[in-house]
Amino acid sequence: MSMTTEAVLGRKARWANVRRETGRALAAAFIALGVAFIIILFTSKAPLEAFNVLLTAPISRPRTIGLWIDDVAKLTITGLAFSLVFQARQFSMGVQGQVYVGGLAAAYIALSPIGTTWLGIPLGVLCAMIAGGFYGFLPGIAKAKLGANEIVSSLMLNYIAIELCNYLVRTQLVPPGSGVLTTNDFPATAVFPALVAGTRIDIGLIFAIVAVLAVWFALYRTAWGLKLRLVGHNAQFAEYSGIRSTVIMVSAMTVAGALGGLLGAMFVQGQSYGKLTILFEGGLAFEGILIAIVARSRPLAVPVVALFYGYLRQGAQLMNIRTDVPSEVIGVVTAIIILLVASSFSIPGRKFFARLLSRDATPPAVMEAGK
Amino acid sequence: MIELFMTVFSATFFVTVIRTATPLLLATLGGLIADLSGALNVALEGMMLVGCLTAVIVSVFAPWYVAVLAAVAAGALLGAVMAFFHLRLKADIILVGFAINIFAAGGTVFALTLATGGDKGTSINLPSKAIPALDLSFLGVIPGIGPTLVQFLSGHSILSWVAAFLVFAIWYFLYRTPWGLWLRGVGEYPAAPEAAGIPVNAIRAWSLLVSGGLAALGGAQLAMFNYVGFTRDMTAGRGFIALGAVLLGARHPVGALLAALLFGFFEALAVVLPGLFNWIPAELIRMIPFIVTVLALVLFSYRALRAHQLRTLSKL
Amino acid sequence: MAPLLQAIDIGKTYPGGVVANNGVNLTINAGEVHAVVGENGAGKSTLMKILFGIERPDRGTLLLDGKPVSFTNPREAIDAGIGMVFQHFSLVPSFSVYENVVLGSEPRHGVRFDRQEAIEAVRALSEKFRLSVDPLPPVGQLPVGQQQRVEILKALYRDARILILDEPTAVLAPQEVEELFVAVRALVEQGRTVIFIAHKLPEVLEISDRITVMRAGKSVGEVAAREVTEKSLATLMVGREVALRVDRAANQGALACEIKALKVTGENGATLVDDLNLRVHAGEIVGLVGVEGNGQSELLEAVAGLRPIADGVAYLDGKSLAPLTILERRAAGLASIPEDRLARGLATGASVAENLIATRLDDKRYVRNGLLDLKAIKANAEKLIERFSIRVGAPGAAVGTLSGGNMQKVVVARELSEQPKLLLVNQPTRGVDLGATQFIWRSLTDARDAGAAVLLSSADLSELLALADRLVVLYRGKIVAAFVNSDDLTPETLGTYMLGIATQAPAEMQGALR
Repeated sequence: MSMTTEAVLGRKARWANVRRETGRALAAAFIALGVAFIIILFTSKAPLEAFNVLLTAPISRPRTIGLWIDDVAKLTITGLAFSLVFQARQFSMGVQGQVYVGGLAAAYIALSPIGTTWLGIPLGVLCAMIAGGFYGFLPGIAKAKLGANEIVSSLMLNYIAIELCNYLVRTQLVPPGSGVLTTNDFPATAVFPALVAGTRIDIGLIFAIVAVLAVWFALYRTAWGLKLRLVGHNAQFAEYSGIRSTVIMVSAMTVAGALGGLLGAMFVQGQSYGKLTILFEGGLAFEGILIAIVARSRPLAVPVVALFYGYLRQGAQLMNIRTDVPSEVIGVVTAIIILLVASSFSIPGRKFFARLLSRDATPPAVMEAGK
Repeated sequence: MIELFMTVFSATFFVTVIRTATPLLLATLGGLIADLSGALNVALEGMMLVGCLTAVIVSVFAPWYVAVLAAVAAGALLGAVMAFFHLRLKADIILVGFAINIFAAGGTVFALTLATGGDKGTSINLPSKAIPALDLSFLGVIPGIGPTLVQFLSGHSILSWVAAFLVFAIWYFLYRTPWGLWLRGVGEYPAAPEAAGIPVNAIRAWSLLVSGGLAALGGAQLAMFNYVGFTRDMTAGRGFIALGAVLLGARHPVGALLAALLFGFFEALAVVLPGLFNWIPAELIRMIPFIVTVLALVLFSYRALRAHQLRTLSKL
Repeated sequence: MAPLLQAIDIGKTYPGGVVANNGVNLTINAGEVHAVVGENGAGKSTLMKILFGIERPDRGTLLLDGKPVSFTNPREAIDAGIGMVFQHFSLVPSFSVYENVVLGSEPRHGVRFDRQEAIEAVRALSEKFRLSVDPLPPVGQLPVGQQQRVEILKALYRDARILILDEPTAVLAPQEVEELFVAVRALVEQGRTVIFIAHKLPEVLEISDRITVMRAGKSVGEVAAREVTEKSLATLMVGREVALRVDRAANQGALACEIKALKVTGENGATLVDDLNLRVHAGEIVGLVGVEGNGQSELLEAVAGLRPIADGVAYLDGKSLAPLTILERRAAGLASIPEDRLARGLATGASVAENLIATRLDDKRYVRNGLLDLKAIKANAEKLIERFSIRVGAPGAAVGTLSGGNMQKVVVARELSEQPKLLLVNQPTRGVDLGATQFIWRSLTDARDAGAAVLLSSADLSELLALADRLVVLYRGKIVAAFVNSDDLTPETLGTYMLGIATQAPAEMQGALR
């Protein structure tokens, strides 16, 4: 076989792989939605209407489209953060905590005199990223130096960050005597300008697009990214190759933390809030797990998945408002999609379609027989 | 400060510690079984939460013990789901675990809304039952120590006694029965039991089932004794703390007991502190269990590392 | 009388299309030692897995005592009286010997595991079959030969009538092989039947009564051991005449690597390499001989920078390696082919091209200002794929999709892509087919002829005797003997030193230690 035909075959195999993964994800989504429909059917008084709202409401009005796209930008960032740590085969679950410390840092900048100058946005975002990066660094260094399990430590840090946010909002950031757990609105100079007037689409979307490209570039075009992926594939091999896997591990968790911090700034400085409220994150950070898994931790796939999932999420919120079905039903959909995509489940009848679609099946790999 | 000491060394505080430690202990034992069989069960949190809600809802219609058993069954069912996706469909156990957590966080609120007819926050409108406390006041007739015994031993949840018994039972199972040997073998080096014809995956599946059942039992205690009723996200990270307690307890049932008591102690402290020192912000008090868990985990890892280094040095 | 165990026309194709067995016939008579021989990949292991119920055949029949049987899992095979000792032991390291032996068939008292009875039973069995194994210590602390006997005890405890030994001698020193053979003969005397899987022909001829030869998934013949020679057996096995021969070093160059008073300790503090002195010259291959676990791997890892050196120095071209990081050592001309390619030598999920430059991520040709030069990386991969004839679709294909031999070629290609000054090699051809073995051997001698100093460790004595110019024997981390390789040097001679039965006097070693 000549080199060129082999290269073509390789490219074909890669595309076949992408097609298969996409098919699997879509099939998982259909199954999950099917389950959701059955649940709605049994629990709602007007199931068809509820399902209709779930599937069509997000694009019904410019305002809801804005809500959807705003969610997509945020989901993209948390998906990227999880993708980074998953590619390094770490299971840091600290995005939630990073969002809160990032949000706090951004709020402190926005509410300070700096917030009224042009520095309000860049400095707020930067400080949020530094704070989030530091918060991501902590479980990383604890694992690298002491072997402390990063799953447990990062989860604990999430709870600590939430309480810290509650405390600081109540005692420092809220004007005395107001009684609410929300700060004053940030000065206009510290709030992300809207890209589309009258919607929530703001420059957070640009941050998300830049972040996708930056993470993709870092992972696939830099030595750091290759090292990170090698550590993720086989840390022992990475050590043997002279890569200091602990350094890579900690840096991956720190960079992911900075993304978490950025997400915090996008929440509090974005059009959606423009102020700091306790519990502002509303569980969105953990949905990055789903995004990263369905995207197979590929940065370029993350926004695509976020687009689909964000739609579903927004549909559920609207269904909650307009019908008698609570939005939490989406948790069930999320869980089913993760379970199916993360497992070896394959699309029923896939082999049949594969034969139908491609005549030149990939030759079976010659494995070590009899071993 | 004096008041703090008085409180901490009182019988009432002891009873509080037992109460706060019981759900943690049950979940930790669940985590331990899964861990020893080779699976890190990060779904303890979700299993506890589902246990809470199941117990509360069933207790509206049935006696308390039926509610507790229903909770255990629900947890075991989640364990079976984990086992199916992890063992049969080869999904990563940690991802499966988080899927269960996400399912539990959303699913419990969804189910609660249905059960209460629209209330998303609490089950306050449901007449749910409590697990009875075991009254041992008859011990008071013992001369001398009787009253003290009653103070310390009476008034615990029946499940606290069950949990204490389970520590012994699980220890006996793990280290004194053939099946405990199998389970530990499966966790340490699965190829060995496999070659001996032991059904490795069945053991793993059963471990996850039992793990789920125990975590949900902890949930039942939480929602039918520590609090009576369900509130959204009421486990508040206890399942994750239990995960830390498994590691801290050196993967041994007695270690699990000690770790659960430690975390229970700090949770109890968080319960009594606001009454004693109202100047300490409530948020900081609520942080205590999490900070203690992180510190304990870090210190324990550091100690393990040091011990390792010292052993190495002493042999040089 | 019907044969004890009979396999007729067994076929097995793995998912993914690998045909492992395709028409295998095997007849085992009671009370014999029956060898099954064949190259790596001939399908021996698959056949044994089918006999033991780990794999299920796609077609064919198994007859035990003339009656058809079908095992769905090892448990059923065990209950039918079949025992198996795998090449990789299935022992739980932290469990004691007796716990490992009885695991799965524990004596019980109610629900309680009766430890005392277990200990007694194991002790009795050990005495009956003269295996001399203490039931109490954790198996993780036992030497390999003893662990193997624990495996045999496991099968005997389950009353195995038929004992399958899968490549049992691969991990043993020649003298330990003799001890094993004593045990095998004792088993046969007591009425047991032994199936012996192997590819080392002298051993096969020594121990077995009858031999079934497998090639490419088929059984190609059954012969009586008395009636064949090693040569005719080899021809039957390979299907063609093969000669694995390499040329010795033509000339020897200057001193390249000097190891002085080197000491390496394990994580638990045990001394693994002790006061070791060795010199390797450019253009020669020095073989490290020893039973596995006597410090060969640790020595290579310490020189490569994968393990801390406790004491002593290693020089490369007169420069101490100690202060250098792994990458700096590589930059200084060190290359290393690790023992376990899957665990340490490759990232199977990454592409071939990425694996081929993984050790060169500070090289200006592939990385500038932290950015990857994808063109250069691809060009490098294409060049090496051609030079080492690696069979792969494209440089972007994941290494995990390659066969074992081709994976090892990726490792060798990476390490030899630049002519090294010092090449560390550990088990270069383990689990690799014959064609790839020849290719890898030639690559090693080419590197040597181009001036590399090669330090080679292998569990396969014939590989060491074929490749090395000088041989040093390690026993418990010390050099106990040194030889200049010659045709007179036999495995038996080496074995005496490998087991620590004999030690050369320093003067004796001098000649070969230059």
